[in-house]
Amino acid sequence: MNTQPAHTIILSPIEALDRVLVDRIRGELTKVFGFPVKIMPLLDDLTFALDRQRRQYHSTLILEVLDREAPPDALKILGVTGQDLFIPILTHVYGEAHLGGRASIISLNRLKEHTGSGSPEKEYHERAVKEAIHELGHTFNLRHCKDPACIMHYCHSVADVDRKSDHLCRYCRTLLKDEIERLTGR
Amino acid sequence: MGTAKILIVDDELIMRESLAGWLERDGHRVDKAPSGEVALEMLEKTRYDILLLDIKMDGMSGLEVLKRVHENDPHVAVVMITAYGSVSTAIEAMKSGAFDYLMKPFDPSELGLLIEKIIDRQARDLETLFLKEEYRERTRFESMLGQSRAMQEVFNLIEDVATTDSTILITGETGTGKGLAAKAIHSKSPRCGGPFVAVNCGAFPEHLLESELFGHQKGAFTDAKTSKKGRLELAHDGTLFLDEIGEISMRMQIDLLRVMEDRIFYRVGGTQPIEADFRVIAATNKDLAQAIRDRTFRQDLFYRLNVISFVMPPLRDRKEDIPILAEHFLRRFSQESNKNIDKISREAMDEMMLYEWPGNVRELENAIERAVVVGKGRTVQPEDLPIFSPEHRTMPVDKSLQEIEKTHILTILEENDWNIKKSADILQIDRSTLYSKIKRYGIRRPD
Repeated sequence: MNTQPAHTIILSPIEALDRVLVDRIRGELTKVFGFPVKIMPLLDDLTFALDRQRRQYHSTLILEVLDREAPPDALKILGVTGQDLFIPILTHVYGEAHLGGRASIISLNRLKEHTGSGSPEKEYHERAVKEAIHELGHTFNLRHCKDPACIMHYCHSVADVDRKSDHLCRYCRTLLKDEIERLTGR
Repeated sequence: MGTAKILIVDDELIMRESLAGWLERDGHRVDKAPSGEVALEMLEKTRYDILLLDIKMDGMSGLEVLKRVHENDPHVAVVMITAYGSVSTAIEAMKSGAFDYLMKPFDPSELGLLIEKIIDRQARDLETLFLKEEYRERTRFESMLGQSRAMQEVFNLIEDVATTDSTILITGETGTGKGLAAKAIHSKSPRCGGPFVAVNCGAFPEHLLESELFGHQKGAFTDAKTSKKGRLELAHDGTLFLDEIGEISMRMQIDLLRVMEDRIFYRVGGTQPIEADFRVIAATNKDLAQAIRDRTFRQDLFYRLNVISFVMPPLRDRKEDIPILAEHFLRRFSQESNKNIDKISREAMDEMMLYEWPGNVRELENAIERAVVVGKGRTVQPEDLPIFSPEHRTMPVDKSLQEIEKTHILTILEENDWNIKKSADILQIDRSTLYSKIKRYGIRRPD
């Protein structure tokens, strides 16, 4: 029987991912959301979600499986994959989340495009961290924010991701605090 | 980006679900219909800002739905969703009045930008109407009258609270005189030498209310050609009256809470903190305790506002005040219109005493104004109060549904002093639907 402590966020790398990046995401999620983050692979094969024609993976199906496979007392789950994700109506998505629910996922696939003048790896890691906080933020009931500097701002491109900061604006911070208080009964 | 009420019409469940989930993350309110027939039924009951409509569906086609939608409400923006290879049909739809089309699967940014464009355009259309309404708002409610025990208690309360500097929350039904009570408190308070600045929070869309309250810096948004002081700044040393406080968005609630805590704020697009010293009086006809339970109103803001609170009694609970109020309004309107009407007949007064006055004192005021306009003699008769006369209590049998709707909307608007929010609440439709009907029926406010 699983004995995960309540209020733990599960960070679930799908396939083998850069350990440095996974650790960095873990650290930032702990800082922003204030809950312990445990690294726990829940899935190693995404074939069930593959659309062979599109050569992409259907993120909604992956979310359902992540939610099902996670320990019942996990507060939230963030899956991280290197595969390209889609939902049927759109060409691609950087990530998807159950708004106010448990599961979220990000794709690193389109974050690698090098656009800046600095280190490509640094640029890629920063984008991944921002997307991770963004998608997990949705599970805490945060919607897209109109402030272009807020991490909950919806980005049309990696350049937009680069432009936004790595923190929540004061509105989203307040709404997150409210949601955490509601979840923990504090 | 603003948010919209969107209806997705697609016969494929997976398309409806994935699009709905995506749009909800942007804060839009989304409904789904599996067919054109169901969509038209939903449109009968609810008004949507945007329709995302699949062209090729089993049963009624997207083009047919588009035609029917625009017959009923030409202001709904319809975006056609088309598959690869049916672009010619999409172009046909554009000629029939569709706003735009998207070819599926579409790029997420393409969808976001298109929705943003629609919201901006619709907001600009509404803005003109909202501003007109705000500037024209009449403040005929110039004095408070009443000998009833309920009103005596209100007068005593006003005397007691006026001298304090505490925040006050006034609740009560529409038309009971909450704004008037706020003015009375201000005029008896040590701040009476300062301004009384009123803001009807329900009359503005969110982005306009933000700039209205906090002001803006030049260039903060496209139309900000010059810097402008907000009402908070204008209320310095005086009283800020926030009417319909229950209508403000969660974002605005966070801003207001901060202002109430430290009296410091920033203009939209501004970086300099501005300090202002004002007393806040807020009013609402909403049940804020229920709104807190529904998570649409912040508890911490409620506690900040509800330091002292009182309820304005409805007119039906103080019917003994009807004669004095009616005579007061009669004197005023006959003077204003230069008509020699100076009495109210016993029968007319009996009718007024029997009536329940759901629109409270404002409804009574409007009824007397109308009586003065239509009255022939020196005395107001029951038939001068058309809403009480028997022939107006039954529905006319020779009018179309549209004529009856137009007349009813006009009556409600007049009884609520053309307050769009209150009228929409009474009619149980949203504001944009009301605006759309006003436009469609060519209803005009008398100057």
